[in-house]
This record gives sequence, C-alpha cells and structure tokens, in this order.
Amino acid sequence: MFPLDSPWNLSFAGCGFLGIYHVGVASCLLEQAPFLVYNARHIYGASAGAITASALVTGVCLGETGAGIIDVAKEARKRFLGPLHPSFNLVKMMRQMLLRTLPADSHHVANGRLGISLTRVIDGENVLVSHFNNMEEVVQAVVCSAFIPVYSGLIPPTLQGVRYVDGGITDNLPQYELKNTITVSPFSGESDICPRDTSTNIHELRFTNTSIQFTLTNLYRVSKALFPPDPLVMKAMCKQGYKDGMHFLKRNGLLNFNGPHRDRPLLANGEANEDYNDDKEENKSDQEEEKPDVDQGAVAVYCSTSEEEQFIQHLPPTLHKALIEACMERRSLKQSLSNLLPVRMASAMMLPYTLPLESAMSMTLRLLEWLPDIQDDVGWMQEQILKILQHVFGQASKSITEHVSTRLSWQMELHHYQSLPSQSSSTSLFPSWVNGRRSSVVDAFVRLNQYKKQLVSGVLCINMDLQGSFKAGAKSADQSPPSTLSAEGLTMLPVADSEETISSS
Amino acid sequence: MDPATTTAPMQSDCETEPSSVWSWWPSWRPTSMSLLKTAESKILACIQNDVWSRFVTLPNRDRIWTLTLTNKGVRKTAEQAPKTPLVMVHGFGGGVGLWIRNIDALSQSRPVYAFDLLGFGRSSRPSFPSDATQAEKQFVDSIEQWREYLGLENMILLGHSLGGYLATSYAIQYPTRVSHLILVDPWGFPERPQPQTQEGQGSEVNKRPTLPRWVKVIAAVVSLFNPLAVIRAAGPWGPGLVNRFRPDFKRKFEDLFEDDTMTQYIYHCNAQTPSGEVGFRAMSESLGWAKNPMLDRVHQLPPSMPLTMLYGARSWVESSSGDRVVQIRNQAHTKVLLIDDASHHVYADQPEEFNKVVEDICNSVN
Repeated sequence: MFPLDSPWNLSFAGCGFLGIYHVGVASCLLEQAPFLVYNARHIYGASAGAITASALVTGVCLGETGAGIIDVAKEARKRFLGPLHPSFNLVKMMRQMLLRTLPADSHHVANGRLGISLTRVIDGENVLVSHFNNMEEVVQAVVCSAFIPVYSGLIPPTLQGVRYVDGGITDNLPQYELKNTITVSPFSGESDICPRDTSTNIHELRFTNTSIQFTLTNLYRVSKALFPPDPLVMKAMCKQGYKDGMHFLKRNGLLNFNGPHRDRPLLANGEANEDYNDDKEENKSDQEEEKPDVDQGAVAVYCSTSEEEQFIQHLPPTLHKALIEACMERRSLKQSLSNLLPVRMASAMMLPYTLPLESAMSMTLRLLEWLPDIQDDVGWMQEQILKILQHVFGQASKSITEHVSTRLSWQMELHHYQSLPSQSSSTSLFPSWVNGRRSSVVDAFVRLNQYKKQLVSGVLCINMDLQGSFKAGAKSADQSPPSTLSAEGLTMLPVADSEETISSS
Repeated sequence: MDPATTTAPMQSDCETEPSSVWSWWPSWRPTSMSLLKTAESKILACIQNDVWSRFVTLPNRDRIWTLTLTNKGVRKTAEQAPKTPLVMVHGFGGGVGLWIRNIDALSQSRPVYAFDLLGFGRSSRPSFPSDATQAEKQFVDSIEQWREYLGLENMILLGHSLGGYLATSYAIQYPTRVSHLILVDPWGFPERPQPQTQEGQGSEVNKRPTLPRWVKVIAAVVSLFNPLAVIRAAGPWGPGLVNRFRPDFKRKFEDLFEDDTMTQYIYHCNAQTPSGEVGFRAMSESLGWAKNPMLDRVHQLPPSMPLTMLYGARSWVESSSGDRVVQIRNQAHTKVLLIDDASHHVYADQPEEFNKVVEDICNSVN
C-alpha cells in the first residue's frame, strides 16, 4: 500500500521519443486513480518526461499530447537520416506542439507544482525549475529540458536569461530519492512504474538516476529513444505504459481506493471513461465515445477483477482515438510511389546531391528564423569563446611560469647544496645512516655538476680528438697539403676526401 | 570461540596474486587484493560486535574469506543450548562488505557467518569449468567444504541473488545441513520462455514488437565476454564508471560512509581476475537466464525444509517465481514475503525491516 498520509510526488524520466510511454501511464493514473495526480505535491519531469508532466499539471488532454509526440516522430521518420536530417527542426516542432496544447494560464497551475529538470550550461549543474512567470516560460522550460546538445542543435536555448540544455544529462529522474516519489520510466528496471521484462539478468546500470536493467528489450528501447520507431510500435508502448500504471495501482491497492477527492471529475478533459469491449476496431471506439459519461466513471473505478484484465487491453477512448489517427498514414499516391523500392533506392543514391541542397534550404530557413535571436546568441557565443580562450591562456601561462620557476628553484637548490658543508648541524639530528645518505645525496649533486663539467670538457675533447684523427687520417690517406686544413679546422671536406679514398682504395 | 581469538586482529595476509612475467608492468587497472582489503576494512570498521575474519583453506588449497560475528555483550552460557548459526551468501559481484547493515543486528542473538563466494571478493579465484553443472558443483562443493572446516552441524542458510541460487542448490544436495532456507531476490528460478509460446498468443505479438536482428547480434557479441569485462577494460576509468553507473550503492550506504567507500569496494571486488564471473557465465545463458533453472529442481528440496523467499517490491526479480515455488512445494513450509520500497538489494534498502524479518525466521528455528 502506497503511503497516502504524507505528501507524494510524481517523477517522469527523460527518454526521448519513448515519452509516449509516459502518456499511457499518465492516462491510467488520471483515469483509475485521479486523486494520485490531483493531490500530488509536485510533478517532476526531465526531457520528454517534462512534456507529460506539464500536460498533467495543466490538465491538457493527454490524447493531444500523445498525438503530438507521434506526429513529431512521424516527421522524424520521414527523412532518410531520420532526426539527424538538417531540415528536421525538433525544437521548433516541440515548441509549436506545446504552444498549441498548453492553455494560456498554465503558468498559474504550474507554479510551484511542476518541476522541470534542466542542466545549466555554465557550470553543468542540475536545476529544478518550478517557477514560471508566463505560459511561454513553461513552454521554454520544456523545450530546454528536451534540448539534447548537437542532436537538437548547437546553440542552447535560454530560460529567464540563462542557457540550459537537456535535464537528462544531470538528473534524468528528479527527486527519485524521496521515499514518496512515484517514479515512471519506460526502461525496465527498478522504477515504480516501468515495464517488466521477462528477464532474470542481474546487471543493471543507472543513467543519471534512471535504473536501466541490462536486457535486450531495454537495448532496443535505448536505441529508439532518439531514433523514433514506427508509430504503431509507439502506440504499443503507450499501451504498455497504461498496463504498467495499472499494475502499479493494483499492487499498491490504489485501484478501488476512494481518494480524498472523489467529487472531482475523473478525467481532466472530461471525456468518456468507458469500460468497453476489447478486440474491436477503432471505429467502434468512435461510436462509444459519443455516449455520455454520466455513470461510466463508476463502472471504470468499481469494475471487477475479471473486467480489469480486459480493460487493460485498451487505452482510454480519447487517447486511443487520437493515437489511431496519429498513426494513420496518409495513403496518397505520392507516398505509395515513394515507398516503391526503385524510388527509394534512387532517392538514396541521389542523397549526395539532394542533401546539400536540402541542407542549404533548411539552413536559410533556420537563419531567417534565427534572425530575432541572432544578437543574443552571437553575443553569447562570443562570450563563450572569450571564456575558453581566457581559460586556455590562463592554463598555458600558468604551466609556463610553473615550469620556469621549478627550473630556477632547482638550480638555486643545487647551488645551495654545493655551498653547504657536507655535515651541517641539522643533519646531525638524524641517525648516522640518514646522514650518510644525505651527504651522499649532496655528493651526488656535486658529482653531477662535476660530471657535467667533465662531460662538456669531454665533448670538447672528443671534438679535438676527432679533429686530430681527421687530420691524421687525411694526412695519411690523401697527402693533401696541410696548409688548407689547418686554417679551416674541422670541416667536412677532408673527411669526404678520406672516405673517397677509403672507398677507392 | 573464546574471547582471546575473537579480539585478535584481522589476519594481515592477503590472497597472493599469481606472479607472472608481466608483474613488473604497471597495472592497467588500479586495483589489487590489498586495495580491496583496505576498502573492506573501512567497511568492517563499522561493526560493533566481535568480528573474527580469516581465510578458511579448503582441501584443494582454495581459500574462502570468512567473517564470524558473535555478540560482544552476551557471554555464552553453558546451560543454554547453542543457537543455529546464520550463514549469509552474497550475490553476484558482491562480497561480505555488502551485509554491513545486517550482520551486526543479526548477530545479537546468534553467531553469523558471512563469506565471500569462491571466485568473488577476497576469496581465491580459481578457474571454473564452462559446463553449467560442473560450475555449479564447484560453487556448492566449496560451500560444503567450508562448512566442514568450520564444523557447523546445521545452519540457517540465507542467499541473495546468485547466492540464493547456490544456496538452493546446496540445500538440495545437503538437506540435512540446512535448518531453514532464506532466499532474498534469488536469481535463476524461472525458465527461459520459449519463443514458440510467445507466438502462440496472437495478441502478444502485436503488443511486443519482435526485436530487430541487430539487437540479437549485439547480444550474441556481448555474451562472449564476462559480464563485468567493461569495468576491467576501462582500466583507470573503472572506478569512475562504477561511481557513475551505480551511484545507488553509494546512496544506499550513505549514512555509514560519506565518501565512495562502497563503490570502491565494489570496484575492487570486480576489477580483479574474473573467476566467479566465469562460473556465473557458465551457469547462465543469453543475458541472465539460468541454464538449469531452479523451478525445475525445487521439488527436490525435502518437503519438510522450511523455505522463505523475500522479494523487494520494486525489484526486477519477479516474485511470481516465488508463487510458483509455493505451488510446487508443500505450502505449509514455504512463504513468500514482499518488502515494500526495496529494490533488488533488499537488505541495504530496508535494513530494519529485512533484519526484523530474518530475525523472526531465525527465532522460529530456535
């Protein structure tokens, strides 16, 4: 039984396009245990989790949110390189989607209740934003939280004058450590609501607080987080979320629990809440949605255990319908044409030519969109570059001065040691072997210096020797006039001569 | 044992590392048995009761690192019948140090033995056969030889994760030695589901998309390596990796150690020559399924042997296999308990509740 006597929180993990899973979970919570959402003290979210968190807090229809995510995914799948294609603008699409769905007064309800995990660019620290001045800031916070550097763009967006990037980099599951936080993650692991893979693998890792079990399905999920899967797969994930949410409620005895606020409407969007038969097509759900929701809520909440199993099979009708619509491909002639193998092959082969063109197009488009912010961003970039340069220069000058000073001090020490008498008064405090060692160290230094001198003189000697031998060799071999050699000293000329003579002789 | 031996300092010798031609070469991994020993002694310094730690040498020269805890306050009185000791077997990649929040409390009423499994922690790291049955036999034999050396007539055997699997296997082979079997989130119980059965259910196929081929290829490549090879291959970055990807260990024990003692300990346990890992890999197939699942064999346990299975409510080890065991075995002697708000490491997440449950079980024995 989940302890309801103390305040609790909801926390949604960041997961890229798997955010559709959160929509399923959220719709289950809203439908089956709405008090769990309405009375939650905070609803946290990171990255894609922030989308669902903001939708839950502001009471947006989850069907729209789900459809929005699937739309973005479809857009990403349209292109050859997927979301990496230059003309795919994730930030812009997300912003549009949020602006469309979130109500204008969302900052009032979100203030203090919605917590969005962000990573501050300047120091890489995690920030949990929960204060919003207007609706645009809510949108901007979600956009910042889902901004994966390089993947989404190069210049991080600002919120309240500070640059932020993806919250998942520093904390992917905000406040998970609080005992009363219900954690939701689409990766199977040790979150409260997460898919249960049929695996007994005992390895697990934590990606910035999100527990991810080492299973094949999770590997697949991770790969699909940034490169969206087929819309139908995403719909299945949403369903999975609903199922796992149901499982959580059942396990904690919250399913038929009369929450403190039973008078509230069951769904934020006030739509039909219907225990309808499964394995029927979507057109049936359309019909059923027309039915009034007078007594359906009671049916849903007090449904018997056998019916629950059926109930799990289907999502709430509104969500279901929205997802079905979103999943439907526009079967136009153009699309069916472009799906033909030769056309696809041709487009793939044309890629080297079309890609620069499309890139240029999208670049100009982006540049135009960028124009209003250009001053800020350029200023920021200049600042960053200056900072980096300063840092580099600082490091370099520091290392140089250190280098020089150590050299100087080393030399000074050497002189010091040389000037020291071998048995100073302080050394007599140590036992004799230490003194011996110490004097030997001093000796070594002295000797080293002597060696150095000797070495220098030795090199000179060698030089002279060489000169001598060359002279001698030249004299003996070539019998050339010595007057020229003695004047020039050590030159290559006689050596070359001698070599020639050696090879010829 | 008499007080003189219990207060004796820990034996200072470490498991000697095999000297090789390359021993002069600076190690790629910043680990050694002595570093592990240092990390472990930091952890064991928290223990209030009397600890006696030493190596138990088995007939085949393998050495098992063993802790014995006895209550300091209560002197053993002659008239009181000696209580059945509790033997704790850790899980994969762990060691005796992980029990730090439990052994002290549990040793209040009876002696507690904890040991590093063969091939893990500070115990010897012999080579393991690649055959599942043989590897399992080597583990179980080492436990039996260890018990013989210590002269324990019978014991309450507690196993966590991989330790739970081995404890069950031990109890099947040596049922007279086990008074009560406690399994905490045991590994290796369910059978691997056959792909045919999944396809039999029509709706299941739609819901769970079949995995693409490349996932299977990666899985096949990964299963060629030992499970924790990454930590060893990372060399100097290994401790950082453990810290980064298992911060939960640090958090679970943060009231005891403020620094990263626990992650250091885990790193040093696993960065050494893999041996127990090889044994584990021999017993498992395709990322974590047991080759010889316990559900097929659990009926071999004597029906009268009491068995308790503890599961963390949040753990990914499903308690459904516990329910299966109840169906298979005599219901009167099998219990399945769920501990709320606990992950796979039940004993560290909810130590008070865990200790209480285990204490109650122990008291039910004698």
